[in-house]
Amino acid sequence: MKFGLFYELQLPKPYDGDQWDPDAEHRIYHEMLDQVELADSLGFDYVFEVEHHFLEEYSHSSAPELMMAALSQRTKNIRLGHGIVLTPPAYNHPARVAERISALDLISNGRVEFGSGESASEMELGGFNVERGLKKAMWEEATREVTNMMTSTPYPGFEGEFFSMPARNVVPKPLQKPHPPLWVAASRRETTMVAARLGMGSLGFGFETPDELGERTQEYYRLVREELMPIGHAINPGLAVLNTFMMGPTDEEALRRSANGPGFFSYSLGYYYNPMTGGKHPVGAGNVYRKYRDESSEVEAQQRQARTGFLPEHEIREGEPKEEVQRALYRAARSGNAIGTVDRLRTTLKMYEDRHLDVMIFVAQAGDRKHEDIMESIDTFGRQLLPEFKERHETVHRKWREEQLQGVEFPINSSI
Amino acid sequence: MPKPDQVQDADLRAQIEKAYSAMRSGNGTEAVRVLADAYLYLLNKHPDMLDETIEPRPGRQMPAVMRWPALGANLTLESVMQKKPRIEFMRDRFAVSEAITYYEYTLESAIQKGA
Repeated sequence: MKFGLFYELQLPKPYDGDQWDPDAEHRIYHEMLDQVELADSLGFDYVFEVEHHFLEEYSHSSAPELMMAALSQRTKNIRLGHGIVLTPPAYNHPARVAERISALDLISNGRVEFGSGESASEMELGGFNVERGLKKAMWEEATREVTNMMTSTPYPGFEGEFFSMPARNVVPKPLQKPHPPLWVAASRRETTMVAARLGMGSLGFGFETPDELGERTQEYYRLVREELMPIGHAINPGLAVLNTFMMGPTDEEALRRSANGPGFFSYSLGYYYNPMTGGKHPVGAGNVYRKYRDESSEVEAQQRQARTGFLPEHEIREGEPKEEVQRALYRAARSGNAIGTVDRLRTTLKMYEDRHLDVMIFVAQAGDRKHEDIMESIDTFGRQLLPEFKERHETVHRKWREEQLQGVEFPINSSI
Repeated sequence: MPKPDQVQDADLRAQIEKAYSAMRSGNGTEAVRVLADAYLYLLNKHPDMLDETIEPRPGRQMPAVMRWPALGANLTLESVMQKKPRIEFMRDRFAVSEAITYYEYTLESAIQKGA
């Protein structure tokens, strides 16, 4: 199992104020650069950064290509993941996506991971006039064509349902051939199964339990072997899942440092993705963090958890909603699979490794967690846990993957 | 891991296999149309499915069949309430990823129902 970091660039407003500190955005951008630079030096494998627009407090990461470009010059080995680029053409013209991905691949010496998706928040869909019912079809058409632009000389042009352009040679071409590894954002099981068939890695936002993951992994790789219909020119078989992350010398201290990061992450995600709340967000004038603190039972749950330690797995499961997205939000707020001491993380992460997860992506920057605590957690994990997982990845997991992919004749470009 | 050969009803299985072939050949539109027919066939064969409810959010009930993906071939709530399920096509064309989504849902529903 490989490891990565995940960034939304969250920036909650102060509880008792309606504006951020004037330096706050500047600060979190540079904190991210420092955190990823440290992670790279310790051998973390991936950083994934979202593209979101207008989701104040939840995500201030609207130009990830610039952060990735900066990181390409401050890091040496870590893979630079778009998690994800919004590919419906109203957000980003497909030719511009192909150009940016290729340019980043060149300046990073071939370290790009190309994740794509659509978003579902009313703020973004409405802000760019993307029709909700068509976004998946837009994503597929545009993503397919981006891979064609990166591989065709010249690109013969396209008359599609959602965009058209005449023949042009889209340059530059990426360093990785035929193109960087492809991923798609998958918050539901069904999207993971779409990913498998289209030959894309699944960037899972569902906070799966190890048992669910085991079943999903088997199914995903079976579909890659038996039902492949690739969207690109090389496939990237792989499952990645998110997990909230914070370490400490004791479990109690890790929970305290974790603060309400997971709770705010979950609340603000739910807030923006629910049209009843996110669609009515008072732009520029709201305070999502205050709403979270005032209204959310998560705050109480987090405080209780900090006082009493980890909730047993069965207690977390007992109260969780059945609907898949709601369940993911619930788990994002409550599960503590990657929060705790070195020993706790070794045990819990091993359960994912045993179920053959390819990539575990840590959500460290969330809510009002402190930069210093995140840096210390990255450092502790990188020094005390990463080496043993890396070794098993090379000796055990690679072999397992080779077995899973036996008989797959389509070209593979994967960094896993 | 749901597969078409787990579907008992020969007619339904044939429809699902036809949709799968269309999907494999890149024809998402045909696949979705066939799957819509297949799902309505399933509901007509098992009308008790129309009475099942789920709670997507605490305190909010909805007919379980409304989980059928609303990607442009939409099951109308009114028709479900009237026990005469109908799928309305809001668009003429469908992508392969959309067809896969409908395929997964239809196949799982059929197998879960023991159809």
